[in-house]
This record gives sequence, structure tokens and C-alpha cells, in this order.
Amino acid sequence: MNKFITAAAGFAVAFGALAGPVMAQDYPAKPVTLIVPFPPGGASDTIGRVTTQAMQEGFGQSIVVENKPGANGAIGAASVARSAPDGYTLIAASIGTFGINPALRSDLEYDPRKDLDMLTIAVRTPNALVTRPGLGVKTVEELVAKLKAEPDTLTFASSGTGSSDHLTAELFWQTSQTSGIHVPYKGGGPAQTDLMGGHADVSFQNLGNIANYVREGKMEMLAITADQRSPDFPDVPTMKELGFDGLEVYSWQAFAAPKGTPPEIRAKLAEGLTAALKSPAVTEQFGKMGFAVVANDPTEADAFVAAEIDRWSKVVKDGDIKPEQ
Amino acid sequence: MELIQNLGLGFATAFSVANLAYCLIGVFLGTAIGVLPGLGPVATIAMLLPVTFGLSPETALIMLAGIFYGAQYGGSTTAILVNLPGESSSVVTAIDGYQMARQGHAGKALATAAIGSFIAGTVATVVIALIAPALAEVALAFGPREYFSLMVLGLVASVVLASGSLLHAVGMIVLGLLLGLIGTDVNSGVMRYTFGRDEMADGISFVVVAMGMFGIGEILSNLESEASRSILARKVEGLMPTRADLRRIMAPVARGTGIGSLLGILPGGGAMLASFAAYALEKKVSRTPERFGHGAIEGVAGPESANNAAAQTSFIPMLTLGIPSNPTMALMIGAMIMQGIQPGPGVISDQPALFWGLIVSMWIGNVMLLVLNLPLIGLWVRMIGIPYHFLYPCIIFFCVIGVFSINNATFDIWLMALFGVAGYILRKLDCEPAPLLLGFVLGPMLEEHLRRAMLISKGDPTGFLTSPISATLLALAVALLISILLPAIRSKREEAFQEED
Repeated sequence: MNKFITAAAGFAVAFGALAGPVMAQDYPAKPVTLIVPFPPGGASDTIGRVTTQAMQEGFGQSIVVENKPGANGAIGAASVARSAPDGYTLIAASIGTFGINPALRSDLEYDPRKDLDMLTIAVRTPNALVTRPGLGVKTVEELVAKLKAEPDTLTFASSGTGSSDHLTAELFWQTSQTSGIHVPYKGGGPAQTDLMGGHADVSFQNLGNIANYVREGKMEMLAITADQRSPDFPDVPTMKELGFDGLEVYSWQAFAAPKGTPPEIRAKLAEGLTAALKSPAVTEQFGKMGFAVVANDPTEADAFVAAEIDRWSKVVKDGDIKPEQ
Repeated sequence: MELIQNLGLGFATAFSVANLAYCLIGVFLGTAIGVLPGLGPVATIAMLLPVTFGLSPETALIMLAGIFYGAQYGGSTTAILVNLPGESSSVVTAIDGYQMARQGHAGKALATAAIGSFIAGTVATVVIALIAPALAEVALAFGPREYFSLMVLGLVASVVLASGSLLHAVGMIVLGLLLGLIGTDVNSGVMRYTFGRDEMADGISFVVVAMGMFGIGEILSNLESEASRSILARKVEGLMPTRADLRRIMAPVARGTGIGSLLGILPGGGAMLASFAAYALEKKVSRTPERFGHGAIEGVAGPESANNAAAQTSFIPMLTLGIPSNPTMALMIGAMIMQGIQPGPGVISDQPALFWGLIVSMWIGNVMLLVLNLPLIGLWVRMIGIPYHFLYPCIIFFCVIGVFSINNATFDIWLMALFGVAGYILRKLDCEPAPLLLGFVLGPMLEEHLRRAMLISKGDPTGFLTSPISATLLALAVALLISILLPAIRSKREEAFQEED
């Protein structure tokens, strides 16, 4: 009996002493699960799958993608926030999940700042201010003048209430002290279709998604929300150039782990992910989708996400667009 | 002449060994996932997307397209044999197809579906080749007003799905509309009827409702009468349609193909709307509408042709404008972008081999499907002969896997069980699940387009009547409503008079 207790105690001590350091050294000892809180085929899914596929070689373990869609990524993010911070459960999601949900919803079951350790901001793409063909507005200045002359007449199509392009429109109205009618759609595709068909007037859409329609004259592009002009459209000004200071907006995708992940593991994951993102093949593939690779480090990523949440919280508050529960 | 040249290029592309092989893989996989309830083409294509990176663009798209229309074929098999519509477009096939199977004509129903689909697929392929570029502009002319009126017409027409009481059918449609309201409101972002659960924030999945109401509900009521069911199953006969059958299905197939080719071009629920518009039309023109719902072969031929034609023509807006008309097409656009091809009007001129090769491969794929499926009918039919107490655990097993695979959520399985019990109770009350499913699918679209149209018109409703397309659709809806109500009122009065006598 005594022997047994001693043995058990010894085992417990040995196990307890070993558990911490061994875990980080041996990591990864088993396959890692990457939760994508959106359906297969979307931007987060593609970014997650392509990046982890490229990362796998030097990593030593396979990374399995699991889709847990729903509520703009809230279901998947909440499940990752509750997972053990051991580096075996990660998440790849969007500006909506990490940056806008916390600004929009008070009943959210996760807070990216408190429950998640960001690993890296993977990619980003600016929004483009586009109008339907034949609206008769050639510059942002003319658009602002028209909005001031006839307030609340032009319709602004967005990919949904609380989407990044909706909040960009809201920010545009607040900055230029104008207003329009917000017309939400279920996703960017239908919004773009109605813009081309002339059923809606204006929209902020991801540059990569509409570049081709603009080239073919199905939409007109007035400006982009990037920090510099796009090499594909050197004649289109940035909002910053036009004097709209706070209107540098990107739609981004990022990787994160549960809060409290051991620093060595977090560093290893971040290194693997950024190396994969910076590899020419991956950069080129994302370039085709209209995304530019960011691949910053965990500290920068944490700061960036916190700043985004603050920024969008202010836009939501000033625009009074919080859904009443 | 140019068309023949183009088709020649298409045949040359599609008949390369690699493309033929991948086309076969595509349609085979598609049939398999179509037969398994719940596993849809969207999830399959998404999982296979990374595999296609290594292939040439033509080969990749040919395989992915094969999965999509192969699934339409396979989906009707499950709908007919076990009354389980895995895709919204096979809901109406289940109505008469399953009744035919119960009467021992499962083989005939399956063959009708296969032949109808083949003819529709062939015609739709020609339609795409002939008028794709011109037709694509039609889709752009449809704005929120036009869609709203189309949905109104759809809802009015869905009443004809009832084979029993009109009142019950209307009740079920309204119940479906209410269920469709669950989820996040598109306009305000408010969550409605979700009980604060994030699992319901995006609404209830169609597959959950369909599997619960049709699958589980059907099993529950079958278990009650297993003895009578096994007797039905034993007299399976007449695998192939007779010459007389073929003559009877020709007109419905032609009408279904026409409706399907037209509605497939419109974004949003094209194949589903097409299949049940075809059903409504067949019931309307039939001299014996009372046979519908009790195993009318026309009720299988029309909708099956329509949904296959629509599946093919839904490629038109995707290939010519880069507009996805359904989630599968959105994935195809993703596949093109990853191959370095920008979807849009430029595809036909910049990538003629891709465009015409894909079109020809669709026709080849349809031939392959017919060859694959006709010999298999005997095998499928024997499935019905399996004693029910062996069959139903398998059906439940596949339902559970299928429902779980949509969101990887156990919550959906519980929800399906709940709908199963509801389906059983409604069946006992002589309420059919098909109108409920249509209300469930159409309701949210109706609301979305109505509110969007009103937002854009700043609250002015006259736009519905001043747009010619919208006005025509609404006029059709009114005419249809009158034609449904008049006989109903008349027969009620006749009944009343008879009672007085």
C-alpha cells in the first residue's frame, strides 16, 4: 500500500515536473487542428488550407483543417477560445471574426484580446469605391457633392450588415459628413451583381473581387482605401490622397491560437506560418486572389487586432448600427 | 459556321484522354455523393479544390462540373427510393417518384429520371452553345423587384404541390415561411427566433429540415406499418419504361427542359424553382391532375428534366459574366481564379478551348451518366427489397453523417431529430412536407428581395408594377391564383349543394 502511494506520488511529481518544458520541446507531437469558422471554399478556408499545406513540410506534423461555420465565425472562434492553449488547436479567420464581431456584438462568447493569442496577420486587400455604370459621378469629390446636394438618395450596396464593406461605407459617410441608404446583401457576389445591373448605386468592395468588372467597364472605380495606389490601376487615387485620413481600410485574414499558448510554441507556429506565407508559390497564389501577404509577427498582430476593434467600435457607436437584441 | 468550328475545338479538347478520364471521375464521384443523402456537391468540390491546382484549367473545371451535374442525377435516386431529397431541387421528384416506387415501379421512375435528365442535359448544352453570351444579360435585368415578383409567383404555384386539402397545403407553406424567418435579419443584423444560440444565427439548414421531415419522419411512420410495406416492396417489376411510357414522358420532358433552361440562368435557387415550376405546369396541363401525388410518371419526368437543364444553364452567368448563380458556381469561380483565369465576359474570347471544351464535356458527361446509371437501376431497385428493419438504421446513419458534415455541429443532429418528430406528427395530420420545404426556401428570399426593393425605392411600392418583368410575373401569379381558387370554390359549392340534396 505504502509502496503504491510512493510510486504514485513519484510518478505524479515526475510527470508534473516534466509536463511544462517537455511539451514545448516535443511540440508538435501529434497532428494540429486548424479551425476555419467559415464554410469550405471561402477566403478564410482557402488562406488556411494553402498556408498550412505549404507550412507542413518543415513542421513535422500534419495540420488538419476543420470547418466550423456560423454567425460570422463566432461559433468556431468561441470553440477555439475554450480550447487548451497547447498549440494543437488553431484558428484562421477574417476581419469579421477578429475585428468587427467584438465591436458589433455585446453577447459574444469570445474576445480576441482576452481569449486569443494572434500568430500573424496573413494577408490583406484594400476596398475599392465603385459605382454602377452611368451614375454620372467621375470622382470622389463629385460623389460627395452629389450626396450633399441630395442626402439619403444614393443606395450603397454591402455584403451584409456589419460586414467590412458596410462599415467602410459608414466610415466614409462619417468622415465626409454625408449619408446614403445602406442596402445589405447576403455576401459580396449578389451586391456586385446588382451594382452591375444598375439596381444599386455605390459600393465598397474588395479590390480583388471587382478588378475585372472595372476593366470591362461594368463598374466605375473612383478610389481605393489602400496606403498607396494599386499597380494594376495606377490612375485611381487612394482615399488618403484625396484627404480622407482615417479611410485606410483593408479586409484581412489572420491566424490565432488560444490565449496562454507557451511562448516557444507560439513563436514556432508564427515562424512556420510567416515562412509559408512569404514563399513565392503561396504569395503568387494569393496575389491571383487579390490578396497581398502581410506575415507580421505575433506582437504586431496583437496590436493590430486591438487597434481594429477600437476603430470599428467607434464607427459602430457613431453610426448607431448596433443591432438591438 | 463559327459555331461548328467552336464545337470542333470543344470536341478536340474534351476528347483528350486526361479530360475524358477526369470527366468520368467527376460524374462518378458526383453520382456517389448525390446518392448519399446530405453530402452535397458544394462540400465535395471545396474539398477537391486543392487537388485541382496541379491540373490544367480545362481538366480541373471539367471534373468539378462533372461532380455538380452528376450529383443532380444521384440525388434523384435517393429521392425516389427512400423519399429523401438531399438537394432542394429533388424535393418534388420525391413526391411522385416515391409513390411510384411504393407501387413497384421504382425501376421505371429511375429510368424516367435518367432519360429525362439526359435529354434535358443534351438540349441545355446546345442552348448554352447557341445563346450563352446574349442570354447572360437577362440575369442582370433581374433586380430586387423582379426577384420579389418571381418569388410571389413561386409561392402561389407551390400550392399545386398539394395532393390533398388546399387548406393543409397553405398552412404548411405558411409554417415553412415562419421557419425560414429564423436567423440573422439581413437588414438590421438582429437575430430572430434563435433563443440566443449562435448555432441558429445563420438560420436552419435546408438539409436539416429536409432530412428530418422526409427522412426521419418517413421512417417513424413506416415503422408503424412495416408489414404492409414489405408486401409493397416484394412486387417490384417493370424495370424499364415501355414504349407507351416513353410516349407519355416525351412532352413533359420537353416542357421541363424549356422551363429549366430558362430559370437556370437566374441567380438564386434556379434548379429548385425550375423543378417545381415544371411540376406545377405538368399538373396544370394534365387531364388527370388527381393522379399527381400518387405516382404520376409525368411528375417525375418534368421536374427531373427541369432541374438537370437548369443545372447546365446555370453555367451561363458564371462563364459569361463571372456571376455565380449558386454556391457551387461560386466555387467554380474560385477554381478559375486559382488557375489564373479571370472569370468574366473575356473568358469566351480569351479561353475558347476552356469554354467550348467544358460545354462539350458536359454533353459527354451526360452520356457517361446514362451509361453508368441505367445498368445500375436493377441494383438500386433491389435496395427496396431489403427488409425495412435492416434498411432504416442505414438511412438514419447516413442522415446523421450528412447533417453533421454540413457544419460539423452536433446541434444540427438534435435539430434534425426534432424535425423528424414534427414530420411524423404532421403526417398523422395529413399535412405534407413538400409545401413546407418550399415555403422554407422561398420565404427568406421573398422577404429579402421585398425589403431590398423597398429600401432602394425609398418606400415606394409602385415599382413592382412599373417594371415590365415584375408586372408580368405578378400578373401571372394573379391568374394562377384565380385558376386555383375558382375550381376549389366551385367544387366546395357543389359539395354543399350535394349535401343539401
